[in-house]
Amino acid sequence: MILLQLITDGLLLGAVYALFSSGLTLIWGMMNVINFAHGDFVMLAMYVAFFAFTLLKLGPAVFVPLAAIVLFGFGVLVYAGLVRYVMRGPMLAQIISTFGLALVMQYTALWVFSANFVSLPNTLVGGVYDVGGIRVSAARLLAGATALALTLGMHLLLTRTDLGSRMLAVSEDRVAAALVGIRPDPMQALAWGLGAASTGVAGALIALFFYVSPGVGDAFTLIAFVTVCLGGFGSVPGALLAGLAIGVIESLSAYWLGPAIKDIAVYGLFVAVLWVRPQGLLGRA
Amino acid sequence: MAITRRSVIALPVLAAMPVRAFAAEPVKIGYIEALTGNAAAAGQSIKQAAELATEIINNPHPELAPLTLATKTGGLTNLGGAKVEIAWADNQGSPAVAQSDALRLITQDHVVALTGAYQSSCTLTSSAVAERYGIPYLAGESAAANLTERGYKWFFRTTPYGPDFARLYLDFLAAVAKTGMATSKIAVVHENTDYGTSVADSMVQTAAARGIKVAQRIAYNANGTDVSPQVLELKNGKPDVVIFISYTSDSILYLKTMKTLGFRPPIVIGDDSGFSDPSFVKSVGPIAQGALNRSAFVPGKPDSLTYKINALFKKKTGRDMDDTTARSMQGFLVLCDAINRAGSTKPEAIRDALVKTDLPASALMINYKGVKFNAQGQNTLAYSLMIQLQGDRYVPVWPTEAASAKLELPFKGWS
Amino acid sequence: MRLSRAWPAALLLVLVASPFFSFNPFYQRVAALVALAAISASAWNVIGGYAGQVSFGHSVYFGVGAYAALLVFTKLGLPPIAGAPLGILASLAISVIAGLPTFRLHGHYFSMATFAIAALAELLIINWNFAGGAIGMMGPATARSPADLLFRSALPYYAIFLAVLAVLLWLTHRMQRSRMGFYLRAIGAGERAAQSLGVPIRRYKLYALLLSGAFTALAGSLYAVMIGFIDPDSGFGVLISVNMVVMAALGGAGTLFGPLVGAVILVPLSEASNAILGGGSSGAAYVAYGVIIMLIARFCPGGLAEWWRVLTRTRRRRAA
Repeated sequence: MILLQLITDGLLLGAVYALFSSGLTLIWGMMNVINFAHGDFVMLAMYVAFFAFTLLKLGPAVFVPLAAIVLFGFGVLVYAGLVRYVMRGPMLAQIISTFGLALVMQYTALWVFSANFVSLPNTLVGGVYDVGGIRVSAARLLAGATALALTLGMHLLLTRTDLGSRMLAVSEDRVAAALVGIRPDPMQALAWGLGAASTGVAGALIALFFYVSPGVGDAFTLIAFVTVCLGGFGSVPGALLAGLAIGVIESLSAYWLGPAIKDIAVYGLFVAVLWVRPQGLLGRA
Repeated sequence: MAITRRSVIALPVLAAMPVRAFAAEPVKIGYIEALTGNAAAAGQSIKQAAELATEIINNPHPELAPLTLATKTGGLTNLGGAKVEIAWADNQGSPAVAQSDALRLITQDHVVALTGAYQSSCTLTSSAVAERYGIPYLAGESAAANLTERGYKWFFRTTPYGPDFARLYLDFLAAVAKTGMATSKIAVVHENTDYGTSVADSMVQTAAARGIKVAQRIAYNANGTDVSPQVLELKNGKPDVVIFISYTSDSILYLKTMKTLGFRPPIVIGDDSGFSDPSFVKSVGPIAQGALNRSAFVPGKPDSLTYKINALFKKKTGRDMDDTTARSMQGFLVLCDAINRAGSTKPEAIRDALVKTDLPASALMINYKGVKFNAQGQNTLAYSLMIQLQGDRYVPVWPTEAASAKLELPFKGWS
Repeated sequence: MRLSRAWPAALLLVLVASPFFSFNPFYQRVAALVALAAISASAWNVIGGYAGQVSFGHSVYFGVGAYAALLVFTKLGLPPIAGAPLGILASLAISVIAGLPTFRLHGHYFSMATFAIAALAELLIINWNFAGGAIGMMGPATARSPADLLFRSALPYYAIFLAVLAVLLWLTHRMQRSRMGFYLRAIGAGERAAQSLGVPIRRYKLYALLLSGAFTALAGSLYAVMIGFIDPDSGFGVLISVNMVVMAALGGAGTLFGPLVGAVILVPLSEASNAILGGGSSGAAYVAYGVIIMLIARFCPGGLAEWWRVLTRTRRRRAA
C-alpha cells in the first residue's frame, strides 16, 4: 500500500516535472540554447497565478491560460532582445547570457514582490480523493492530467502540423529553411514563446499546491536539466518519460534511502547517464 | 554640518523636549544582517525591529518604562543624550561577505560595537573579526551552539539556543504526559543545513541525557520540491510527537502534504523559524490548527510592555512582532543599554558593562527571565514559552502561569 | 604602439602596489579579495577560456581546496595552509576521475554536466558529517603560531595571493606560447578541426584541466586560511563557479590578463555596492550584476579584451 502511494505521488510529481521541462527541451531542441533562467520562468508564472487570484479574484480556469499568455509574450521578448543576438556568438556568451537573465529575474522579483513566501489558498482546488487507501490531492491530479495532455499536444504540434514541421526545419538547418522560404527568426521566436508558455502553464498549476517566493525557481532549474538530459535534448516525449521516471525515483529513494539522499540519487543518475549515453535515453545519437 | 543634522533630527521632538545639552556625538553601532539572499524575509523584518528600537531609544518614551533606555529625554543619558545610529551591512547570507562587512564597519564606519546576524554562519565569521579588533559583538538571534564555545572575549549572546529549546520541549512533553497522553515516541524532522542539524543534535542529546530515545530522525533538503515520502515515513512510524525544525517553504509543504496524505499525529511542534513566519500562518494556518511552537515573545495583556512594543511594531509594519524579530530587538537594546551604562564608547568599557549586565525581566520587551551573561558570554536567563496556533494567531499555552489560552490537544490540523 | 603598451602597464603597477601604501584596511582587504578572485578566474581561464570548455563545476575544486585546509586543522591540528598540497592532490584525482568522462560531452552539454557534478558534490558534502556536514568547519580562532597565517591586516594575504597569481600568470604566459597553448586554442576554436590537424584532444584537455583545477584548489585553500570558516555553500555553492566564469568573460576569456581585469572590476563593484546600498538595496546589486552579464553577452561577447584590441588597432593604424 505504501509502495502504491509512493509510486502514485512520484508519478504525479513527475508529470509536473515533465511539463515544466518540456518548455526547456523545446527551446533547446529548436536552437541549441540552454535557458539557465528556466526555473525563474516558472517563478514568474507562479506570481502571475498568485496575483491574478489575489488582486483580480480569477480562478485557475482563467489564470492558467493567462500565465501561458504572459509567459509567451515574455519568451518572445527575451528571444528578440537577447537570445537572437547571443545565439550566433561564442559559446561562452550564449551560456552566461541566460545566467544573467536568471539573476535579474530573481532579484527583481525580490525587489518587487518582497522576500516573503506566499501561497494560494488550499481550498482553491481543494479536496483529497481516497482510492482504496491511496490518497491523491485534487490539485496535484489536475496538474498531472493537464501536464500529460499538454505534453501530448505539444508533441502532436511539432510532429503533425505544418507549423511544427517549419519549426523543426529551422532547427535542422537555418540556411536551408530560409532557402525554401521559411523565415527563421519568427519561427525561433515562436519556439521561445511556446516553450515559455508551457512553462507558464506548469508554473500556474504548481502554484496550486506549492509556495511562491522569488527564489522558488532554483528548486526547478536543476530538475528540469536532469529531466531534459535523461529524456534526450529536444525530445518532448522523452521529457515526459524522464519526468515520470525521476518523480518515481525521487519518491522511492526518499522513502527508502532518506530524503537527504534522494537528490544525490537523481543527480548521480544524471551524471552517470551523461557519461554513458550522452544523447539521453530517447535522444538521437 | 553637525549642527544642521542634529537640528533636523531634533525638530520633530523639539516641542516636547526641555532644553538640554546638544553636545553628544551619535553612537554608531554596526548591524550585520541578511538583507538579501535566502534569509532576506527574516533579515528585513529584523531591520524594521532595529529601527523601532532606535526610535524608542532616541526619542522620549516615558510611557514604555521600565523598559531599558525608554527615557523622558531620549538618547543615551550617560553619554549626554547621544543618539544611537545604525550602520547597516548586508551579508547576503554569505559568511565571507559577513566578514568583509565586519571589517568595513569597524575600520571605515568606526562603529563602537557590532550586532547580528540571523544566520549563525555569518555571525561566526563576522564575530571572529570583531574578536581580532577587540570590538564587542552581541548576537541577538543566532542560535548555533558552537558560537559561545570558542572562548571569545568579546562575544555575547542574549538569545536562548539549541539546548534551551530541547529542554523546553522535553519539559513540556513531560507535563503533557502527566495528563495521560502518550508522548514517549518522538520523531524529529529537520532541514539539513546548520540550523536544522544543530537544533536536532541538541534535541537528540538532551533527550538521551534524560533517558529518552528519539524514535525517528529525518533529515531533508529544505529546497526540495516534494515532501510526500517523509510524511509517509512518519505516518508509518506512528509517532506521538513530531517536531519540525524547518524553514518557511518546507513547513508550508509539510502541512499541505500532511493534509493530502491524512497524517495527523497527536502532537505537532514546529521549532520557530518556519512555523513562526507570518507567511506560514497566512498560507497554511487553517490546516495547522493546534500546532505548537516556541516563542520568547508573547504580546500578553494590554498593559504589558510586550503588548505595547507589539502595538508599536504593528503600527510601523502592519505585522505582529514574532519571536525572531523580538529576540533581535532585545539583543540590540541590551547592547545599547551596556553602552549607556559604560558611559563611554571605548570598547573595553562597553565590554565591562556587558559582563556586568544584570537586567531583570521587567526591563525587557521579551519574555526572558532576565539577561545575565556567563563566562562564555551566553545569557543564562534566556527563556521561551510554548505557544499554540489557535485560529489565526499563536497564543501562549505553557507553562500554565504564563498561558492566556487553554492547551488544546490532540493536534486538530484541518477539519 | 610602445606608448599604448606602456601606460596600461604603469597603471597596473600603481594599482598592484597601492595597497602597500594605503593605510585603509578595507581597501587592503578588497585588494586581497581581488587577487584571490583573480587566481581562481585565471585558473578557470586555462580550461574555460583557452580550451573553450565552459565549466560550471569549478566550485568543486575550490571547495576541495578549502575543505582540505580546514580538515587538516580540525582533524590533525596542523596549520590550515598545510592542507593546500592535499587539496591540490585531490583536485588532480578529481580531474582524472570526473573530468575524463565529461570531456566526451561538448558545448552546452559539457556545461550542464559540470553544473550537475558541482550540485552533486555540494549535496555529498552536506551529508558528510566527518567534514562538519551542513554546519561546516572553523579555522583557528587565534593564531597558535605564525604558520596559522592569521593576520589582522589583509596586507599579508594580499602579498601571498599576489605571489600565487604571478606564478599562475607566468605559467599561463609560458603555456600560451608553447605547443600546448596552440593545441588548446585549436580545441577551443573547434574540436573537429583540431582533431583533423592531429591534436591529441583528450590528452591536452586533461592537461589543461589538471593545471586549472590545481590552482583553483589552491585558491580555495587560501580562501579558507583567510576567512577561517567553510560550509557547503561557501565552498561548493554554484555562485562560486559562476563568479569565475563571469570574471573571465567580462575581462576576456582566453586572454592572459582578461580574468584579472574582470576581477579588478567586479570585486570592488560588489563590495562597494554593498557598502553603499547595503541597507536599502534589496538585491539591487544582483540585478546590476545580471544586467552587466547580459550586456557583455549581447554587446561584447569577447569581453573587454576585444574592445581593447579594437581600440589599440585603430590607434596603431592612426599612428601608421
